[in-house]
Amino acid sequence: MKVKEIMTKDLTAAEPSMTVRELIELFYRSGLSSVPVVNEEGRIVGIISERDIIEGALPGYFEVLYGITDMNHLSQKLREIEHDRIEFYMTPEVITIEEDEDDLTAADLMIRKNVKSLPVVNKDGVFVGMLRRIDLLKDLL
Amino acid sequence: MIITVTPNPAIDKIYWIERLALDDGELPVMRATRSYLTAGGKGINVSIFLARMGIENIAMGFIAGETGRAVERRVRDEGITTSFIWVEGETRTNVTLLERGHEQRPIQITEQGPPIPPEAIKRFLTQYKRAVSRARYVFLGGSLPPGVPETFYQELTHLAQQRHVPVIVNAAGKALMHALPEKPWLVKPDTRQGTDVAGASLKTSQEIVEVGREWVAQGIEAVLVSHHITHDLLITREGAWDLEARDVQFKNLLGAEDALIAGTLSAMVQGASLLEATRFGMAAATASAESEELVVTDRMAIERVLPKIHIEQL
Repeated sequence: MKVKEIMTKDLTAAEPSMTVRELIELFYRSGLSSVPVVNEEGRIVGIISERDIIEGALPGYFEVLYGITDMNHLSQKLREIEHDRIEFYMTPEVITIEEDEDDLTAADLMIRKNVKSLPVVNKDGVFVGMLRRIDLLKDLL
Repeated sequence: MIITVTPNPAIDKIYWIERLALDDGELPVMRATRSYLTAGGKGINVSIFLARMGIENIAMGFIAGETGRAVERRVRDEGITTSFIWVEGETRTNVTLLERGHEQRPIQITEQGPPIPPEAIKRFLTQYKRAVSRARYVFLGGSLPPGVPETFYQELTHLAQQRHVPVIVNAAGKALMHALPEKPWLVKPDTRQGTDVAGASLKTSQEIVEVGREWVAQGIEAVLVSHHITHDLLITREGAWDLEARDVQFKNLLGAEDALIAGTLSAMVQGASLLEATRFGMAAATASAESEELVVTDRMAIERVLPKIHIEQL
């Protein structure tokens, strides 16, 4: 099966100029926890997740603390960055897969790179959907 | 790739009842003999039709809450690419009652839809601009939810025209009136709520043809107007035609208009002339009106109805 036949055909994405507050609103309303960041042509320039926002507010949190003791502290830090553009917090190196690749290549890439989902691009590099682990599992049944 | 825009999507719930028994006792209860639930809104109906015809398309609009989630899931299950903007609140649920023997007069309860904040409109425009550069056609249809300006279709038409992408507008009132100066490729006035549309009276076939010719003279490629349930009038620079569906056994008129546009668009994409495409669209509308399904998408069923569609040049 080709990736385009099994991917989730959803174009929900963020733009680099979006603010942290707008992104949190997007995650909250859509139920997504990460989205690709695309430019005006729809080409992927990064990926951003809830984790990136937490790390943005509390740098080193995941490595050092492993436990949160003060919600006010996180709240205060989030408020400090809420108007920042998300491009400062996104991961610019994105592993993508082309829509005409096969499912085996996609599965192999996800396992090797230890990622839960892959943004899918067409031959022009334009974002056309997301391939999630569950898409592959459903395809295998 | 075709883009459909449904600013105010809905979950459509349809009940078939034997009799509208509002006068039966103090607390009338009407039991449905059948019910049907689907994701709806003009653009979404068009998207579903196109997807079932094997035509790739993107459904865009604003969705919210649990009903929004249901709309998104149902649209995605059809293989349609989704590009919705999430907002606070709840996407509409529209209820329709179809009484046996009175299917031509459905009783509808429609909700307003969630209010759309300015930042959501801004996000929509960003996503639309990205998508429209890849589009072959854009379809804009239906009512505007609270917060969306009446110039919304005008702006979307303008953005598509800038990229030389033909636009179909199926709307009523000021939303349509504002869009007209942008010269959409095809205009289908929504006459369900009345025949006074965008400052013009579209009551008689003569009025329709006159208004259609006026709009075409202003630069619109084609005007398509439904007339007296079984007629559609097509006006272009080349002429005007009356398409009539004969011997129609009505069962459900709800999705007929959307089937007309979707059928026309799908035939255009597959290479038909506008007149032939409209005939196919009208067959799709007729097949839908003769079925309990909202929109009939079975090509064989549509082609069986084609002989019922008669064309007369005016």
